[in-house]
Amino acid sequence: MIEMNEQGLPSQEVSKPAELAMGPMIRKMLANPGALKKMRTMDPDEERYVRPSRPYDLPEYRQGMKHCKSSEKYLRPTRWCNPREPLVIAMAHELGAYELSDWEFAEAAFWFVKTRFTAEFMPLNSVSDSLRRGTGTCFHTNSVWIALCRAAGIKARYKTFNMMLPPSLTNAKTESGRATVNIFNTGMPEVEGEVCIDGKWVVGHVAMRPEYLACGYLPIPRFGEDAIGLTFPLTPGATIKRFESTPLWMWLVAKAITSFIPASMERANLKVLDALLRGSQVIEKAGGLEAYDRAARSKSESLHVDEIVRTMKAAMRPELVEFEA
Amino acid sequence: MATSAEIENRLRRLNERLARYIPPRETWTPADEALYKPVDLLRVPVDEAQEMQLKAIKYAFTRHYTYNQFYYEYCKMMGVSPDDLKTSDDFNKIPLIPDSIFKQHPSGKDLAYWITSIFTGDLPKVVIKGANPTFDDVINAFNEQAGMAVTYSSGTSGQHTVIPRDQKTMHAFQYGWTKMWLDIWDPTSIDHALNLIPKPTRSNLFAAKLQEVFEQLFEDHHYALDFEISADLALRAAVDHSNAAVAEQLSADGQLRKIFTIGTQWLERYEKTTDTIWILSFPALFSVFLDALEAQGKHFDFGERGVILTGGGWKTRDGKNMPHRDFRKRVEEVLGIPETRCLDSYGMSELNGGIVACPEGHYYHLPPWMKLFILDEGLKPIGYGEFGRLTFLDPLAYSYPGFVISGDEVRMFEHCPVCDRPGPVLDTVIQRVPSAEGRGCSTVLQKVLEQELEAQ
Repeated sequence: MIEMNEQGLPSQEVSKPAELAMGPMIRKMLANPGALKKMRTMDPDEERYVRPSRPYDLPEYRQGMKHCKSSEKYLRPTRWCNPREPLVIAMAHELGAYELSDWEFAEAAFWFVKTRFTAEFMPLNSVSDSLRRGTGTCFHTNSVWIALCRAAGIKARYKTFNMMLPPSLTNAKTESGRATVNIFNTGMPEVEGEVCIDGKWVVGHVAMRPEYLACGYLPIPRFGEDAIGLTFPLTPGATIKRFESTPLWMWLVAKAITSFIPASMERANLKVLDALLRGSQVIEKAGGLEAYDRAARSKSESLHVDEIVRTMKAAMRPELVEFEA
Repeated sequence: MATSAEIENRLRRLNERLARYIPPRETWTPADEALYKPVDLLRVPVDEAQEMQLKAIKYAFTRHYTYNQFYYEYCKMMGVSPDDLKTSDDFNKIPLIPDSIFKQHPSGKDLAYWITSIFTGDLPKVVIKGANPTFDDVINAFNEQAGMAVTYSSGTSGQHTVIPRDQKTMHAFQYGWTKMWLDIWDPTSIDHALNLIPKPTRSNLFAAKLQEVFEQLFEDHHYALDFEISADLALRAAVDHSNAAVAEQLSADGQLRKIFTIGTQWLERYEKTTDTIWILSFPALFSVFLDALEAQGKHFDFGERGVILTGGGWKTRDGKNMPHRDFRKRVEEVLGIPETRCLDSYGMSELNGGIVACPEGHYYHLPPWMKLFILDEGLKPIGYGEFGRLTFLDPLAYSYPGFVISGDEVRMFEHCPVCDRPGPVLDTVIQRVPSAEGRGCSTVLQKVLEQELEAQ
């Protein structure tokens, strides 16, 4: 794993579109008109996605509400992350900005985004739009958290990495599996946020609701806890990148995908809703969120999958196999 | 119900036919004793079964600890050695291997190295032809040159489960699966057998290889699926929904019609006789076969002289769960074979020996050598009657550590609620524990795109 710090990087160094590993998928898509049609159009009898209603009220903005006006890096407005939008300022106050300590506020904002926002595939937009909807991708939700913190005068930035998809997907033997899996293992990044408190960067993974994680019986990352290693294995050799602003090309890619294959996006959104429903049943069965999280953490400590795989690799006996050309 | 004298006669005949599956008595390990010694595997008293389990599992654990470098290192990491295994209360100390490990094998050359790592014991040097060997090339090389019986599952999760059995383990599995039925029906009394499962010589599929034993068991044994089934075909067929997709794939290839023609002619031939018949199939494939028979208006009346055995996933072609009872009723309606003669066996590729359904209540009865636990979602053991993750200690796995946490969610009862056979049973409601989800939206999108790319 190569970890690069902020000083070593220009602010927008995340994976470039050319590196998104989409080539094999696009080739396969173009070679299969049936698949392409399916990706673009929902069947008439298919269930349609209905966005869930926003599970919180929008606070009213009042003139003169205190907010950070600094143009310092990590505090200033950046692309699709403007902490000076009235709704952002109002929500920051609603969550305790300038009343709570920096840690308490960042944590309150963290749980607000993590537990109230639903994952939805869509183009990037302003933080206010995301707040009005209560849905978005990991870029949307992290932008909401980062903007709320910046509005409260807490430095905040993005952090991306490539997660390794679960083995049942990454080792897919079908051509379609291979064509799609690398988009995520080496292409599309997963996003976390980081906030600077008392001179130290504190991580937060707001993108996935607890119910969604519960669907795979995964622990729920808390404020200050990295999702890498807890819920996401890092792709071997992956670079962790940190930056102030979402790059422009990310908007282009998101826009292009949602415009080109809208039906795929809709089906993915439906799957998310289904997963949330099942996850909420898991949490309920476990006796609530805390009980669930304890059990899930205990499980992840008991299942030593990574160690087993490493031990198996070390115990391979290559001298017993010969390959004849 | 058969008398004990009748069961003894059945066993004697079975052992005569399957003599080559039984190792010489003087070489029996405690695990062999647990399989080959009892007369009626379904009626071993609970305390005797527990005693056998302890000896057999302790032996198996010591063997894998001693002769499997990977498992030894894993046990060291977990701080467990054979000395820690004194009573059956210590079973929960045995380091378990998640079933995903058997799915996480690499492909090509690395698959060969992976097999050398998970295999317990000595292996001869294996020469594999070609710079880029296929999945089947690697498996065939081990089976032909190392005398192994490596098989793979159909890959319902999108990946084959690869199990590196040696011949001893495979024979124990085949013999054990057959012997488990002795108390319920007599395998040696069947006149004609039909398999709606791939032929063992034409596929490395686990379900296919099991059937080699039937060549010895039945005098008249017929295969309806007598064509090559490669790993890729099996995976393409199975990637969506259990074995139901096999039918889908076979249908697309035009093979399904041939299979059904063979099956229909076979049924018509023996309906006119008084001979006993036996059919083995995946539930989903057999269900489609019943559809085809009904569509042609064909009905039979085999009655008590027919036995239908199924194994594999209980999913319909559209991925929905198929109620077992509805299936049995349809078998009775179309073939005239009563529900008590329509039986299922539950198993996993990693597990050796059958877990067989009783005719009275259709609950799954466990082999006496095997220890099963049900774990909660935090992987802590839970009691009878509660749903959880199935975990088993299988001492018949001689060539790999058979101490596995499965991805199946089941519940266990202390006794069969219906019949009087001793020992715990599994409920028929079995489903997969969700696992590949929850990581991130990427996993969802990847799955959607993959499925769409498969669309024609």
